[in-house]
Amino acid sequence: MLANVNRATPYLFLAPAVLVMAVALLYPIGYMIWASFLDWNPSQRIGEAEFVGLRNYIYLLGDAAFRESFWVTIRFAAIVVTVEMVLGVGLALLLDRKLRGMTVLRTIFILPMMIAPIVVGLMWRYMYHPTVGTLNRMLESVGLPSAPWLSDGTWAFASIVIADIWQWTPFIFILALAALQSLPQSAMEAARIDGASGWQLIWHVKLPLMLPVLIVTALLRLIDAFKVLEVILVLTNGGPGLSTEIVALRIARTAQEFQDLGTAAAMSNLLLILLLVLTILMFGYTRLTERRAARLAAAREAEIT
Amino acid sequence: MLKRLGSGAAAAALLAGTAFANPYEPYQDTTLVVMFPAHPHYDAAIEVLDQFTEQTGIEVEVDQLQYLRMRERQTLELTKDEGDYDLISFVVFSKADYVYADQLENLAKYFMNPALADPTYDQGDLIDGYVQNIGVAGGTKGYLPGQLGSAFGVPFGSETSVLAYRRDIFEKHGIEAPETYEELLDIACRIPELEPGMGGMASRAASGHQASHAFLLHLAPLGGQVFDDNWEPIINNEAGVEAANALKTIVDCGPEGGTTFGPSEAAAAFKSGQAAMFLDSIAFAAGFEDPSESQVAGNVGYALHPMGVERASQTGGFGLAIPANAPNKEAAFLLLQWLTSKEGDKAVAMAGGNPSRFSTYADPEVQAKYPYSETFGEALKYADPDWRPIIPVWGQINSDIGTTMSQVLTEGLDPQEALDGVAERTRALMEESGYYTWQAAE
Repeated sequence: MLANVNRATPYLFLAPAVLVMAVALLYPIGYMIWASFLDWNPSQRIGEAEFVGLRNYIYLLGDAAFRESFWVTIRFAAIVVTVEMVLGVGLALLLDRKLRGMTVLRTIFILPMMIAPIVVGLMWRYMYHPTVGTLNRMLESVGLPSAPWLSDGTWAFASIVIADIWQWTPFIFILALAALQSLPQSAMEAARIDGASGWQLIWHVKLPLMLPVLIVTALLRLIDAFKVLEVILVLTNGGPGLSTEIVALRIARTAQEFQDLGTAAAMSNLLLILLLVLTILMFGYTRLTERRAARLAAAREAEIT
Repeated sequence: MLKRLGSGAAAAALLAGTAFANPYEPYQDTTLVVMFPAHPHYDAAIEVLDQFTEQTGIEVEVDQLQYLRMRERQTLELTKDEGDYDLISFVVFSKADYVYADQLENLAKYFMNPALADPTYDQGDLIDGYVQNIGVAGGTKGYLPGQLGSAFGVPFGSETSVLAYRRDIFEKHGIEAPETYEELLDIACRIPELEPGMGGMASRAASGHQASHAFLLHLAPLGGQVFDDNWEPIINNEAGVEAANALKTIVDCGPEGGTTFGPSEAAAAFKSGQAAMFLDSIAFAAGFEDPSESQVAGNVGYALHPMGVERASQTGGFGLAIPANAPNKEAAFLLLQWLTSKEGDKAVAMAGGNPSRFSTYADPEVQAKYPYSETFGEALKYADPDWRPIIPVWGQINSDIGTTMSQVLTEGLDPQEALDGVAERTRALMEESGYYTWQAAE
C-alpha cells in the first residue's frame, strides 16, 4: 500500500504541470487541427462551420501563391540564419577577450534585439524611404544612384533580410559568447602548448566544443525566422507582388482579409509540421554526434587500459 | 389612495410632456460606445460629438482604429452574444459580410418608430450613389439596391474620386487639367520631363488592397468590370488590360518609390511637391489645403475624375450601422440620425469631413470655407456604386488582383497574362462559392 503511494508521488507532483500543458498547449493545437478540417468563416462560431475533410490541405497544395510564400519563407530563413550564425559567432570570437569598456560594448551590441519588432519595422521603413530615407541619401551623397529598397521584388527581399540580420545577430552573439566563455580552459591551454595557431585553435578546439550550443542556437533562430511577421508586415506587407510574403504573413492575411480560418489553420499546421521535422532532425543530429563522441571516448579508454 | 393616483397621473402627464418636447430625454445619461476609423472625416466627426452630447445628454465614447484593421475587430465583436459597441462605422466592402451573417440591424424599424425618427431628416437629400453603395443591400446582385433591398447602414464619411493637380505647375507650362484618360496619361509622363525631379501622378500601388484599388479606379471609367451580369469574370478583357497599362504608365512616370505607396504615402508625396497630380478620394483635399502639413496649400486645383469611355468615379468610404448585438440600439440610432442629419452633416463638413448630403455641398457657408465643394458635388453625379463588387468572397479576389497588379508594376509581368490568371482563379473561387449554381449546365 505504502509502496504504491510512493510510486505515485512523482506523478502527483507532475500532475499540475501536465494539466497546465494540456490546457495551454494541447488544447489550442487540437483546436487548430480541428479547425483545419472546417470551412470556417470568422462570422460563424466553430460549431456552425462545415466539415470539409482534407479540402483545405488539397487546396493549399494546388495554390501557387501559398507555394510561392512557402519558398520565400524557406529562402528567408535559410539566408538569415546562415548569415546571422557566421556574423554572430565571428563577433563572439573577436570580442571574447578582456577589453576596456567591454560590458558597455556588449550591451550596445544586444540593443537591437530589445527593440519591439513593430518599431524595428518602422525604423527601417524610414531608412529605406526612396527620397528622404537615410540609406538613399547616403548613396546620393557619395554620387551613387539610389536603390529601390522596397519597391523592387529582389531588393525588397534583400531589405527584409538586412533588417532581420541587424536585429537578430546579437542573439547569436550573446549565446555564442556565453558558450565561448564557459569552455574548459584546460583544453585551450593544452592546444596552445601543442603549438596550435589562433586559427587552428578556433577551428579544431573552440568551434567543435561550442557545437552543441550553436546547434540549439541555430534551431531557435530558425524556428523564429519561420514565424517572423511584424517587421515584414510593417516594411513591405508582403509586396511587391508576393516577393516578401512569408507564410506567417499569408496566414494572417488568409484569416483577416480572406476570412477563411480553416485554410489559415491548415497553413499553420503545415508550418508546424515543417518546424517539427526540422527540430527532430537537429536533435537527431546532436544525439548522433554525442553517441559517436561517447564511442570514441570508450574506445580510447579501452586502448589505454 | 386618490392622492396617490393623482400624483401618478401628474407624473405620467409630465413624462409625456417632456417626451414630446425632447425625444432624447429617455436616453439621457446613456453612454454609447462607438467604433470609428482613424480617418480625416471621423476626426472631424469626433470634434462635433460634444455638440451632440450637449443637445441630448447622451455621452459618446469613441474607439478609433486603423481602417483596414476594423474588419478584423468587428468580425470578432459582431459574433459575440452581447456586443460592446452600440454604433460602428464599417468599410464599404464589409457590408456584404455583415449583412450576409445577419449582424447588422435593419434600419426600417427605427425609421418607422415615431418616437425615434426625426420627421425633418429628409432621406431624399442623402447622396444616392453613396446610399446605394454603402447603405442598401438585398436588391440587384444581392449587394446593390433594388425593389426588394433595404437599408442596413447610412453613409457617413463616404467618398468619391477627384483629380487634384498643381495649378501653379500646370499654368507655368500651359497645361489644362486633363479631361480624358489619354490626356491624363500624356500629362503624367510629360511632367517629369518639364519639371525634373517631380513625378507625374502619385498613386496607391502597394501590393495587395492598394494596388487593387488603384487598378479598379481606372477600370470603371475605361469601360471595364470585374464580372459580367452572370458573375463571369471579365476583368481580363480589353478594358482590363487598358486599365492595367494605365496604372503601369502612371506609376512608371510617378514619384520615386511609388510602387510601395499606400494612400497616405501618395498624398504625402503630392503634399510635399513630389508629384503634380493625385487621383484619389476627396477625403484628402482638406489635408492639401492645410498649410501646416502641406507645402502646396493654395496651389491645388480640382477636376472631375477624367473620362475614359464614360465618367465613373469610385464610391467608397464608410457607413454607420447598429450591430445586432448592440446594448443601446435606440440611443445608437439617435446618434446615427443626428450625425447624418442636415445639421450634423454640415457641422462635420465645416470641421473638415466629407458631406453625405447634397444640401451640404450646396451650402454657401461650406462652399465659402471649402472652395472645392462645388467640384466635388459635381463629381458625385458620376459616382458609380458598382465600380467594385461587394460580395463575401471579395476579400480574396481583391487581394489576388492586388498582388498580381503589383507583379505587373514591379516585375514586368505581362498585363494580359496577369489578368488571365486572376480571371481563372476568380472563376474557380466563384464556382466553389456557388455563384454558378443557377446557370444552365453546359
